[in-house]
Amino acid sequence: MFKDLDPILHSQLRLAVMSLLISVREAEFTFLKEKTNATAGNLSVQINKLKDAGYIEVKKQFKDNYPQTLCSITEAGITAFEKYVRDLQSYLQTGAA
Amino acid sequence: MEEKHMSELESLQVISTMIQKAKASYHDRGTGAILWGVVVATCSLSTWAQLTYKYELPFDIWLLTVAAVVPTIILSIREGRRRKVKGYDETAMNWVWTCFGISIFLTVFASNAVGAAFGQVKDAVEAAGGARPAIYYSDYSSAFMLIIYGIPTLVTAGIKNFKPMLFGGIVCWLSAIAVLYTNRPTDMLLMALSATCAWLIPGIILYVKSRQQRVA
Repeated sequence: MFKDLDPILHSQLRLAVMSLLISVREAEFTFLKEKTNATAGNLSVQINKLKDAGYIEVKKQFKDNYPQTLCSITEAGITAFEKYVRDLQSYLQTGAA
Repeated sequence: MEEKHMSELESLQVISTMIQKAKASYHDRGTGAILWGVVVATCSLSTWAQLTYKYELPFDIWLLTVAAVVPTIILSIREGRRRKVKGYDETAMNWVWTCFGISIFLTVFASNAVGAAFGQVKDAVEAAGGARPAIYYSDYSSAFMLIIYGIPTLVTAGIKNFKPMLFGGIVCWLSAIAVLYTNRPTDMLLMALSATCAWLIPGIILYVKSRQQRVA
């Protein structure tokens, strides 16, 4: 049924991360963890999958002597997210018809 | 939240919930607006009192605006460190208010130059045997300041859909017209009113809202 939907985005946690990042310019890893209620390990794995797909950019730096991971959506990520939403809409319209 | 496949409705719910969560995560605490509302209202009221009761402070009260730049920068750095997320409108707001601050200082600089030129013209008229013209540039310069006060206030109101600032911005622009027809002490009262409506009251509203959100 969902064969045309982007498999990278069609997963609850990855879609949640992308939905958070599409609304902001940049977000800390801790922010994504807090909002998605995911475990650090699982979130880290999913973030790496999004990064490998080129949908997000991950920047590691230090803030007040503590490591900080910053994530932001890329142009490719925005395009993929928009296409995913369009595809979802077409599914819904097909279902409603 | 686990990695699992979803129906199309569940997907839409995830998107909508997360976008709402992201929106609710960054809110202005209003401290900058409160600071500048207090500073400009204090300077204006102090100038009004000096003009009305004919006394002079040993220093220019408007230097407070220069002094207020330091706590503004400190507040901005502290806010930036506290935030776990940076929004798009936050970047736009930073640019708008930085440009506003620079514009104000450039306008003061330009106004001083024009005021000095006015003085030279009046001296020349007097030297030529005419009566010294009773026209003062300072009677009009408040209008330029108020026009500039209104711009970032209305831009912020529009971007953040924040009605108290919309009202404040309109008060600034109406005052900008009014000061052309009023004397300088009244100009100062209108300036204080504008700073209160544009920044102090909206700042207090933002501060109260942000405290309520932190408690909730």
